[in-house]
Amino acid sequence: MTREYLHAEFRRPEEAIAAAGKLVAAGIPKSALELYSRRPVETDPPILPRKSRMSLVAVLAAITVGTGATALMFWVQSDYPLVTGGMPITSGWATGVVTFETTMAGAVFGIFLALLWESGLIRRRRQAPVPELPDDGVVLEVQVNGRAETGLARDVLIESRAFRVNAVRSEA
Amino acid sequence: MEAISETDRRTFGHVRNDILSRMEGASRAYLAAVAALGAIVAWALFAWCYQIVGGFGHTGVRRPVFWGFYIVNFVFWIGISHAGTLISAILRLTGAEWRKPITRAAEAITVFCLMIGGMFPLIHIGRVSYFYWMLPYPNERMLWPNFRSPLFWDLTAILTYLLGSLIYLYLPLIPDLAEIGRQSTGTKRRIYRALSLGWSGSDRQWQALERAMKLMAIVILAIAVSVHSVVAYDFSMSITPTWHNTIFAPYFVVGAIFSGIAALVLVMAALRKTMGLQEYLREVHFVNLGKLLLLMSLIWLYFTFSEHLTIWYGNLPREIHVFNVREHGLYGSLFWTMVVCNFVIPFVLLGISRLRNVTTIAVCGATVLVGMWLERLLIVIPSLSTPALPAAWGSYAPSWVELSITAGTFAAMALLYLLFVKAFPIIAIWEYDERIPAR
Repeated sequence: MTREYLHAEFRRPEEAIAAAGKLVAAGIPKSALELYSRRPVETDPPILPRKSRMSLVAVLAAITVGTGATALMFWVQSDYPLVTGGMPITSGWATGVVTFETTMAGAVFGIFLALLWESGLIRRRRQAPVPELPDDGVVLEVQVNGRAETGLARDVLIESRAFRVNAVRSEA
Repeated sequence: MEAISETDRRTFGHVRNDILSRMEGASRAYLAAVAALGAIVAWALFAWCYQIVGGFGHTGVRRPVFWGFYIVNFVFWIGISHAGTLISAILRLTGAEWRKPITRAAEAITVFCLMIGGMFPLIHIGRVSYFYWMLPYPNERMLWPNFRSPLFWDLTAILTYLLGSLIYLYLPLIPDLAEIGRQSTGTKRRIYRALSLGWSGSDRQWQALERAMKLMAIVILAIAVSVHSVVAYDFSMSITPTWHNTIFAPYFVVGAIFSGIAALVLVMAALRKTMGLQEYLREVHFVNLGKLLLLMSLIWLYFTFSEHLTIWYGNLPREIHVFNVREHGLYGSLFWTMVVCNFVIPFVLLGISRLRNVTTIAVCGATVLVGMWLERLLIVIPSLSTPALPAAWGSYAPSWVELSITAGTFAAMALLYLLFVKAFPIIAIWEYDERIPAR
């Protein structure tokens, strides 16, 4: 299946943000837009908001790894009980440090894996061609369907002061 | 305030090309420094091999001083590793924009210090080939590590911190690695593109990166505090005089942050001088860090005073001997040198605003590092050489093996840094913005 994209180059991020707003107002879904830049374009709220489960993944990974490590400690301490001078074989105080550290290690893993997943760095589902980035400008990518939508999007982009608009295709 | 107007502002391309140009080529001085440092590291490796073959008796460690220079260095290097955490994580979370040109230098210090510091327990155990006995791996004898031991806590804490710090250094490097890949050709291009994991600069990726960095900053802060607390527990969980002490964990964390900032200003001054980074590492960055250093100096003094006052006032025979030998006995000169290095010099040079400049702040960084190394020495050696039983008192003098390995680790730190600045941009290109005021 062939997909068509418009790559519009803007000299200033503000122009691209304004163009994205106009495209959405013209009926193009936000999911069809993507912004490419060499520096992050920060707007509050984000012009292309995306759902993130990174915090949840971090917490779940932390709980999983921390619980697993604590279970391992409980198991091996019961399996090979050291002489503890009357103190409990498994103690929350004594094993708490390792529980904490492994919980944090789990969080680190979770954040890293969530980043790879959410940023698309380890996913190659979407084969949109990556535009050539200008040094101080940004590129707004619009996925378009059909001639009418292409024309509409191109008009909006040019009206929004895009100084170059390229049409590209990719085989999905 | 060093504000830069929109018209004076250089373009992203200018900044990128300028920073990347400093990674290219190697001057004779650079190569000579690499060779000299490499020779010192090689000598240290020889000394370590000599110790492995000949045994731990080649060190100066004797009864009752079973922890010598290796543990002093271990605590010292792990302490310095807090540079990256403080500067990058705390300042990121508090929204201090001036941190941006200095974060990479700080994060690199963290990783290298952890690598170096983490080596010392391995060196100290003597038979390094058995280090895997510390790991909880299944074996037919069912002998597991002692999870109650602070030494095992150390292992997990340092491994977690190393993992977290590596990722914390790597994440903001990804866009810069992609940038280097775009500007390179051939094998270099392929390597950097592979390292950048296919970064394209899409908004999706930027949002994910920003989110990940914020979360990592929170997690790494918690890990950093815990790591040096655990290092303190190595001491405070024992009944050695003056070690069994509830103040040790926060005292060690304060000392770690203090020495971390000192290392950072020293590294920054060296980078600024040798790589000509005056436009990026501006005086205001040093002044801001100098103020932080002064604050930490005062907090360090407060903790040191509290600890020593408690010991002196308690006047327990087993502790007062250590106090005496540390304050005006065998180690008295070292103790007062430590006070001068950690408090008097920083207080004068950083407290008087007219004296505060890049040179004096770098001097303070150097003196604080000396002072903090002495502090670690004064925590470890006097307590062990003056145990509760006077008949068991002893002394400690490092052997050439320990001195060589100690020198080798300082050389290794400098060598790793020299190699790093040629392989990766020391200023985060994508984060750098000249319009950001440094106050």
